[in-house]
Amino acid sequence: MASADGGAYSYSLTVFSPSGKLVQIEHALAAVAQGTTSLGIKATNGIVIATEKKTSSILIDDSVIEKVAVICPNIGIVYSGMGPDFRILVTKARKSAQAYWKIYGEYPPTKVLTQEIATVMQQATQSGGVRPYGVSLLVAGWDSHRGPSLYQVDPSGSFWAWKASAIGKNMINAKTFLEKRYNDDISLEDAIHTALLTLKEGFEGQMTEKTIEIGVVTVPTAADLEEGKIGGETGRPKPTFRKLSEEEVRDYLAL
Amino acid sequence: METSFAITGKGYVLMAADTTAARSIVKMKTDEDKIKTLSPHLLMAYSGEPGDTVQFAEYVERNIRLYQIRNVYALRPAAAASWIRRSLAESLRSRKPYSVNLLLGGYDTSSYNPQLFWIDYLGTMTEVPFAAHGYGAYFALSLLDRYHDPSASLEEGLDTLRRCIDEVSKRLVVTPGKYKVKIVDKDGVREIEL
Amino acid sequence: MSIMDHNGGSVIAMVGKDCVAIASDLRLGDRALSISSNFQRIFPITDRIYVGLPGLGTDVATLRERFRFRVNMYTIKEEREIEPETFAHLVSSTLYEHRFGPYFIEPVMAGMSKTPSGGYKPFIAATDLIGCLNFAKDFVVAGTASSKLYGVAEGLWEPDLEPEDLFETISQTLLNAADRDAFSGWGAIVHIITKDKIITRTLKGRMD
Repeated sequence: MASADGGAYSYSLTVFSPSGKLVQIEHALAAVAQGTTSLGIKATNGIVIATEKKTSSILIDDSVIEKVAVICPNIGIVYSGMGPDFRILVTKARKSAQAYWKIYGEYPPTKVLTQEIATVMQQATQSGGVRPYGVSLLVAGWDSHRGPSLYQVDPSGSFWAWKASAIGKNMINAKTFLEKRYNDDISLEDAIHTALLTLKEGFEGQMTEKTIEIGVVTVPTAADLEEGKIGGETGRPKPTFRKLSEEEVRDYLAL
Repeated sequence: METSFAITGKGYVLMAADTTAARSIVKMKTDEDKIKTLSPHLLMAYSGEPGDTVQFAEYVERNIRLYQIRNVYALRPAAAASWIRRSLAESLRSRKPYSVNLLLGGYDTSSYNPQLFWIDYLGTMTEVPFAAHGYGAYFALSLLDRYHDPSASLEEGLDTLRRCIDEVSKRLVVTPGKYKVKIVDKDGVREIEL
Repeated sequence: MSIMDHNGGSVIAMVGKDCVAIASDLRLGDRALSISSNFQRIFPITDRIYVGLPGLGTDVATLRERFRFRVNMYTIKEEREIEPETFAHLVSSTLYEHRFGPYFIEPVMAGMSKTPSGGYKPFIAATDLIGCLNFAKDFVVAGTASSKLYGVAEGLWEPDLEPEDLFETISQTLLNAADRDAFSGWGAIVHIITKDKIITRTLKGRMD
């Protein structure tokens, strides 16, 4: 009954296999491993997340594709795996961030939002009639308590923090590459440069500003933070996460 | 018309409630017990809307007893008071709120202290050295301001209680004839003849 | 009689130099009958945040328990203490949840809030019973003696009062305002909050 691919235990999410695995989640991870590579690198003064924007045909209007998504002014995410599942999770994450804002008047810290997303993903592994989300996410954000932080969330709902990581098709090579190049004192500029080099390693085809997406988390200065508090503690803080425009990406690629 | 008082003393809480059950001009009963024993060291005097009173008091009595059955040890007076207060506060914003005022007197066997709580039908709760509900309160409370002694012996406490009862008998138009008096101390609950 | 006047009581918070003060009276009444001279309506939220809850007595207890629950969950989840501004928004959203069946309380908050540079700044705030926030820079008042508190505070308050001077100012403000109000008084309690300690004093006032 139990064979290498799980056999009879692989069809139901709510059944453990004799070896203690939930085979459906293993299959979900396989779906992720087929997705385009994404990576994230945490620097001393920020975080960079990046992904390939691979289109199956040159006829596709790639300006509409969004693989790096803003969740709230201080958090952004990127994925590897099934695009539609990502879209749903982005919607839920954005709603969760707004719900938090409605109660506390400020946006959630990265870890708290990551936990919310992870809970959503876990619920899809322990309910009837649903399947796990076929994506792994890299969540990058800044908050005043922990500073910049980078988390990976898997289809199982487990999450952990990284200094640098890669997910998707080329993750093993990319992680090896990152292990060699990463050090704790890396600056944001170096991190962006390293991210581009890592992506280039496994890139199929031409790497241009149209075939990659980059998101960046910056650390606000003390002046920015003070400014954000003007207006009776209801002032809008300056966003710390933003996506790089095509021009900016082109400039980085030219380096 | 229903009157209840309670006072704390050295290691005890004395509680007195009138024993008249009346509707309009008729006294239906003159030996009604309006003080329930919730647990070995906890007394509750109740007054208010007829029907609501007994219904709520029995609900509280049974739930406090259930806690003790499940957990072996009874709830301490302060904890029981919180639970009772919460029940009334939730009832307040329901379709039909209970209209019951309570005096909760207990002996805390872990801190060796008597404790008295005044709780009204809204769920307002405060710990007090002495308390009263009903019209009788208007006469009793000022007397107790003057004569209450938190370290009084049982005899002295009973004297003070008698003062209150006499004053209410003298000045309140519709006086309750008899009162039931109970005491809770380290040895538990018992009735006292005044 | 208004529901807000049923039990009586008032609270005031003031800003000083690197400190805040919050004070309340101690009376609990049943309309005109006084029941308790020891009714607590100011509660600690964290080491640096205090909240005062004047209004209907039953809601004082209920709201105190709800805030305690929500702040405990926040502390456990975020692994850090809540800041005063965040707590103020939490109070506001909790009250607005009951917009059409409100708690009859007008909370007053005082605390020391962390600045980005690592120091502490005095913070006060108040809301109405449905959560409209008021971030004042000088003082906030609420309760049955609120109009009297406004008057005395406006006269006595000045910026940058040291903790001991702030204590005198807020005490005189509260005592004199409460003396003019039938439903407030019967004793008072004052908390002075600085960045590293809290001094609590009970005041002797007119017991009528």
